[in-house]
Amino acid sequence: MLRYGLRLHRWGTLGFGLVAFLSTTAQGAAYLKLAGSTPAERALFVKTMTALALQLSYFLPLPRHLDSLAGYVLWRAWGTLPLVIVFWAIAAGSGAARGDEEKLLVESWLASRLSRARLVAWRFAAFGAAALVMAALAGGGTLVGAAGVETIPIERLAGQVLTLWLLTLACFGLVYLVSQFPGSKRGAQVLGTVLLLGLYLFQVAARTQPSLEDPAWISPFHWYDAGDVLAPGGTLNLTGIALGAVTLVASAVLAWLAFERRDLRGPLFRLRARASRARQGGTSPLLGWPVARELYRQRWIVLAWAAGIAGMAFLMVGIAHGTVNALLALPGLRGFLGPTGTDPYRGYIALIWFGIAQALLAGFAVHVVAGWAGDDSQGVLSAELSRPRRRWAIVAERAISAVVAIVLLAILGSICTLIAAQQIGVTLDSAGVFRATAMLVPFALTFAAAGAMASSWWPRAAIGVLGLLVFASYMDSALGPVLGWPAWLVNLSVFLLYGSPLLTGIYWNGLWAMLAVVVVGFGAATLLMERRELSR
Amino acid sequence: MKVTSAIRTEKLTKDYGSGRGLFDLDLEVAEGEVFGYLGPNGAGKSTTIRLLMGLIHPNRGAAEIFGLDCRRQAVEVKRQLGYVPGEHPDFGGLRGREVVAYLGAMGGGVDQAWVKTLCERLKLDLSQRFRDYSSGNKQKLLLVLAFLHKPPLLILDEPTSGLDPLNQQEFYTMVREARDQGTTVFLSSHILSEVEHVCDRVGIIRAGSLVRVASLAELHDIRLHRVEIEFAGELPLDRIRAAEGVSDVTIEDHSLRCIVRGSFAPLLAVLAGAQVVNLSSHEPTLEETFLEYYAAEPKEPVAC
Repeated sequence: MLRYGLRLHRWGTLGFGLVAFLSTTAQGAAYLKLAGSTPAERALFVKTMTALALQLSYFLPLPRHLDSLAGYVLWRAWGTLPLVIVFWAIAAGSGAARGDEEKLLVESWLASRLSRARLVAWRFAAFGAAALVMAALAGGGTLVGAAGVETIPIERLAGQVLTLWLLTLACFGLVYLVSQFPGSKRGAQVLGTVLLLGLYLFQVAARTQPSLEDPAWISPFHWYDAGDVLAPGGTLNLTGIALGAVTLVASAVLAWLAFERRDLRGPLFRLRARASRARQGGTSPLLGWPVARELYRQRWIVLAWAAGIAGMAFLMVGIAHGTVNALLALPGLRGFLGPTGTDPYRGYIALIWFGIAQALLAGFAVHVVAGWAGDDSQGVLSAELSRPRRRWAIVAERAISAVVAIVLLAILGSICTLIAAQQIGVTLDSAGVFRATAMLVPFALTFAAAGAMASSWWPRAAIGVLGLLVFASYMDSALGPVLGWPAWLVNLSVFLLYGSPLLTGIYWNGLWAMLAVVVVGFGAATLLMERRELSR
Repeated sequence: MKVTSAIRTEKLTKDYGSGRGLFDLDLEVAEGEVFGYLGPNGAGKSTTIRLLMGLIHPNRGAAEIFGLDCRRQAVEVKRQLGYVPGEHPDFGGLRGREVVAYLGAMGGGVDQAWVKTLCERLKLDLSQRFRDYSSGNKQKLLLVLAFLHKPPLLILDEPTSGLDPLNQQEFYTMVREARDQGTTVFLSSHILSEVEHVCDRVGIIRAGSLVRVASLAELHDIRLHRVEIEFAGELPLDRIRAAEGVSDVTIEDHSLRCIVRGSFAPLLAVLAGAQVVNLSSHEPTLEETFLEYYAAEPKEPVAC
């Protein structure tokens, strides 16, 4: 049973384990280059990073012990893992509680004399084993990154691995618990996202608001942040460990009680009024039009990403003053804000915010490709092809709908950027913002084209392949220059092909390269779609 | 090839290896005919249908629908047909009416009055979300989609799967009405009695090869029943054993078991006057029928 449970989590374990391993390895390996080796260099590094960390508290915990590699890796790598874990816990928790029900797996397991209590226990144990692999890989990456620079005692590392493992399991447990309430996997994902992101953002606020310090203990991310056992002189946060264990057990027991009470594929509490309202509704005319029907099917996804991008635009531009002032106070970091003579606020928006916008649109591209792969595995593509539709038309419709959605999101992000900049008194030239916005489209389409090719070739592997491509591309752009990788290797990153159009105009070579990938990607997707066989 | 055939295949082969797949299928279904495609699970029924639909590609051979090549002219082919797949697609949170609008528009628009008629006949509520449908209702939605454009050819892969008996009867009526209007129907099933309800002719496939094509009347000789007779007194055993279609006769106490192929008339004739207390008969599964009927026969493909 445990082996089968692990099999159900194998792609998550592999993907998130790889992220954990690579990020801890990379941050460890980059430490010497960033921090220097003399005491004076280290002191300046600590001062600089401490100031910067205050502005980055939305993504990272406040740093401690930055004068050591272990302290730095604890901050930069282990500190970012909780945000990554949020996504894994949402996917795995909602999938285990509701996704497997929608696939009728739970029905067959229960029919084979497995009790509901044992089923819940088995799912927790299986995810626990998967999470342990991921946490161990983070530990392994830390050892690899620190090799030859600093010795990390194994008991400190084990303590950190234990803390991460418990956080991961607690997040899974909470999502598994709230997934008992709605009647579908999508509802479970929404509730899980609201809960975990809410708890995460609560802790984010508590990092800089002392008044929230005490109530923040309800957030598992607070217990995690409070532990610093990996760093020299750090301690294992026993209270946090205990609270993590209590959360884990309580969520499992409550989830079991709810599971016992509810019907399979039904919500915990039924609302009777909905059905009659649904009967009165009509059908959207958009479903009758090519491209529009694809966008209609993706409407909630596009709306969710639009809200996220708009929110992030206001947030990131809103903190521009504080961040820029901190960076300007430190001579070593002035270069982060663009070439000499650049307005530092414009530089911040161009490099930091539009960098995040790139990552968000890359994430959207992955989400869209997941929908294409899902259409294949769920038999929707076969149903479409049983109608008089040409295969190339399906790829073309997907590509055009992706273009429309990406253009909408890029424009929305830019409008929000302009408004937010105006609110803080920063003037941005509209031509520059237009360039930056326009370049986001081929950038995101590059990933969509790669995903289209992957989903036409091997739909089941498409998300893994594309996720790896996005991650490798990001790591290449982030670490390549720092670690002195060869220029040809660094330039392979799609993130670098975007350039910095708000500051330096369009990077034409990058644009041509991205357009070439888009044309080749969708062209290959068309050829592969014409040739391939549909498994369902 | 003649254009008058609705479906025609020639040496159609899809080899998945290890003896799995479809091999050298020669088949012809005439226009206006209701053709039953019978075979046990895994025999190659769905593979045949997916080849006809152009969803998978043959290793060799050809398949045509109304004279159009199923692979090269797939789009033109699909303008001529309605299809029920063997597995339900998953349209997730789309409501039934949205699925109809979405796929209906791809086939040239939706006649709402006809949709309403179909839904009323099958008792299908289109306002529900697809994921909330029972498997029977999902099957009904697929039937609505197949009949949606009143196509000249219906390709139906186990179309009554999940339907209750009342809806099965309604479906049979719909098929007969379609046939009366000149529609050709290609219907796969693993239930012998089902094809008897509606089919003019039947093809039987086993282990990837077509082993027999027969009219409904000819089908009776492969049909068998397990019969159990409880009796008092004596039975004319020799005459029973000699009766046409009766085999595997065994007696235990006052109970006789035998297998009857085809008509019951010869057995009932020899039982006339005997003191029969109880007589029961059941139809074995198609797999059992095949085991009985084809156990000793070599797997020879046939052409029709």
